[in-house]
Amino acid sequence: MSLRDENLAAYGNRMSRYTELRLQKNTNLRISLLNGDVVANAKSADSGISARVFHDGVWGFSSRAEIDGDAITKTIDEASRNAELLAKYAPRSEIELPPARTKKESDFATKKARFSQAQMIAFLQAIDARIAERYPDLKSRSVTLADLDMEKRLYTSEGSDGYSNTTRSLIVVNMVTTNAAGQPVELRQVFGGRGQFEDVFSSPAALDDEIDALHAHLMKKREAVAPRAGVHDVILDSELAGILAHEAIGHTTEADLVREGSVAGDFLDQLVASPLVTMVDYAHTRDGETLPVPVYIDDEGVESRDAVLIENGVLKSFMHNKESSSLFGVNPTGNARAYQFFDEPLIRMRNTAILPGNDKLEDMIASIEDGYYLMWPSNGQADSTSEFMFGVTLGYEIKNGKLGRAITDTTIAGVAFDMLKTVSMVSDEMSWSCAGMCGKKQIIPVGMGGPSIKCRIHIGGQ
Amino acid sequence: MTHFAEQALDALTKRGFSKARVQLTESEHHELAAEFGELSLLRTNHDTSISLLGIVDDKQGSVSINKCTHEALHDAVEDLWQVAQGSRPDPANDIAERQPKASFVAGAEVPDHDAMFERLSELLDHSRTQYPTLKMGGAIVTFNKRRSRFLNSNGVDFESRRGSYGMSLMFTAKDGKDTSSFNYTGAALAQLDRPLKDCANADTLMRQTTEQVRTRKVPAKFTGDLVITPESLSDFLGFLTQNISDVPMIAKTSLYHGKLGAKVASAKLSLDSRPRELIGGYAITGDGYPAEDTTLVDAGVLRSNLLSLYGARKTGLTRAATTGGCYVVEAGSTPRDALIGEVERGVLITRFSGGRPNDKGDFSGIAKNSYYIEGGEVRYPLSETMVSGNMAELLANITTVSRERVDFGFAVYPWVRATGIGIS
Repeated sequence: MSLRDENLAAYGNRMSRYTELRLQKNTNLRISLLNGDVVANAKSADSGISARVFHDGVWGFSSRAEIDGDAITKTIDEASRNAELLAKYAPRSEIELPPARTKKESDFATKKARFSQAQMIAFLQAIDARIAERYPDLKSRSVTLADLDMEKRLYTSEGSDGYSNTTRSLIVVNMVTTNAAGQPVELRQVFGGRGQFEDVFSSPAALDDEIDALHAHLMKKREAVAPRAGVHDVILDSELAGILAHEAIGHTTEADLVREGSVAGDFLDQLVASPLVTMVDYAHTRDGETLPVPVYIDDEGVESRDAVLIENGVLKSFMHNKESSSLFGVNPTGNARAYQFFDEPLIRMRNTAILPGNDKLEDMIASIEDGYYLMWPSNGQADSTSEFMFGVTLGYEIKNGKLGRAITDTTIAGVAFDMLKTVSMVSDEMSWSCAGMCGKKQIIPVGMGGPSIKCRIHIGGQ
Repeated sequence: MTHFAEQALDALTKRGFSKARVQLTESEHHELAAEFGELSLLRTNHDTSISLLGIVDDKQGSVSINKCTHEALHDAVEDLWQVAQGSRPDPANDIAERQPKASFVAGAEVPDHDAMFERLSELLDHSRTQYPTLKMGGAIVTFNKRRSRFLNSNGVDFESRRGSYGMSLMFTAKDGKDTSSFNYTGAALAQLDRPLKDCANADTLMRQTTEQVRTRKVPAKFTGDLVITPESLSDFLGFLTQNISDVPMIAKTSLYHGKLGAKVASAKLSLDSRPRELIGGYAITGDGYPAEDTTLVDAGVLRSNLLSLYGARKTGLTRAATTGGCYVVEAGSTPRDALIGEVERGVLITRFSGGRPNDKGDFSGIAKNSYYIEGGEVRYPLSETMVSGNMAELLANITTVSRERVDFGFAVYPWVRATGIGIS
């Protein structure tokens, strides 16, 4: 039986206090080829039921892998007992959770016939064979498929009722060559996004152009020079602007981190960025386009809505769950999400983006006399001070308004609420990605988007 | 549970797999969590997972589920058959050979809930009274109990029962409008027999964080020393341990390929993996061998790679007796304060926030929760300070290892001084 068909409302009479009952199944698929050999070929499915109960300001939680009626009843009862025990030991000042009642369904499963594992491996092998044939200069290559389906069924004691099946399919191509000194030089790119494999990837050849571009960048990176350490004029390409939105600003404006002391708490309604900067955490849709991680109802049963974080440079609001919205005296934004069935919902971003402006990328590059064009990120990290860092795996020098030599892997950093004030140009096009997993007690997929932006930033290097 | 693991192995061999492996794990997770200085969540999770691996005609696949019913097992075995059949043959795919039946037990069987409440409350009280500007965003005490049965078709039959507590703290300091970077620490613990502030250097880090609300930049760009604290050392060992593992060794992209028996670090560095000794460790390797405490680097010389059975068969090198992790760096003879006293100019780094080093080992990142050192003395907390260098060179440039170490339960690390780091 599909999770969609489970009648969780039948357990409503066991919910004597505010209760969330969530049935969830995460299905992961991972296939990896290393120089043509299948080095990973694995599937996993984790499903179960969880209940979270609110009592006297504290939460009780319980989960089980079994999902029959007896297990669901036991899970609700254990969560209730945990809440009662904790409240008896340490009641908190009573918080009134804002009520929410909505019903939403979303399903991003493919309507096409599903590929078998053998077909997927053959697909990856075809990509790998094309790479091996066309780029014999590589020292090593890998092609990895990572699929995640998150299916959730939610019922709350307030009557919210939700079903979602959020899917993602990614292919990661990694190439390694050597430079003149015989040292390894590496570059990787992630393809794909929302949807299941059959909807995201049409044919191995369809990736040829992008893989050609990846290889061309790698060949330039063989001759890369180290960037000069220090503060420079840079263009952050859209992927980097997206991770900037997520890491540098997004995390500082999650209401739980604001409660923990994030500097954003002091800046509400103040100018924190150039007036060219507007930033939004979208729930599911922008300009009619469904975004990478669409959330219509969150795991507290709240209808998700967009959270405008920065508008024309002014910090406007934060992202909330029920508890934080009560404490801040605002409406919840539907940002409460859990990764696994055994996880509690936390305030998490959904689709966080800096919005496009009016400039052309070529004009932006032409405007820099001596700086860098930074294109692809690796990892990133945020801080309560809004100090951020991202790894950069691909970038180029800009000399006299023209792109120059590639630069070696580096790290960029800054204090977001200072750096954003240096934004002087914003391109008129933006792109989205959902390749990453955000870590905050639990991991979870997030969408990030942005245009190219011109700013001044601290670059690591020689 | 025992019976079901046997049924699963039987089902795999009957389906036609020439080699098969089953790991069945029952787990319980008890968690008491505080948010913003107040107890907020009591959680109990129950789970059962079963991981199946099958090899047929040298083709391998794995499937894991968390349901122990006959119907779920039947579906998983059929699924695994399709997964494995869809793969490509590789003679390096294999399972562990027959070994004597063994049982491994470590840690407590049941959680002491009263101790969990008392120790966490005690920590929150300590934080409130000693460090009023500290905001304890998340403080968590857990008890994890796992019972596993590991079987394979060569006759391997292991059972493991482990119970351990865990502590995880995340905090920030705020004084007026001045905010520190967030900081965190954590530990795996056999018992809750001492205050949590005394575990994993927590009290020192909490105090330091309250000092870090007002920071300065380094006076100028320079090349100097890093004093790497125990909290940060794993960031600087990760390049080595990752690059002696399967993928870079098989692909021959690792700087350490062919370096077994050769010098890869300063003679001051000795590094072990001790999964059996540490409470945060494990008894059975992922391949199905009893885990053994293993010396990886002895006085700077690489003594063992971290190859799995597959990696070993693929490279023709020796399989490691550990799956990695649980790293222990041998203590030196220099007191920590004397080690800092050696530094003419540098940074005491407590948290490294940086990009993943490239295959050459080049790195750069921000020194978080860190201090400027000049003339052998810790001067002031830093902000916006970038450190850069090369991971392999950093390990070769270790001059001093402290006498004192911090036991995290999942690792044991000293303070380490390394030279030649770019600081800006």
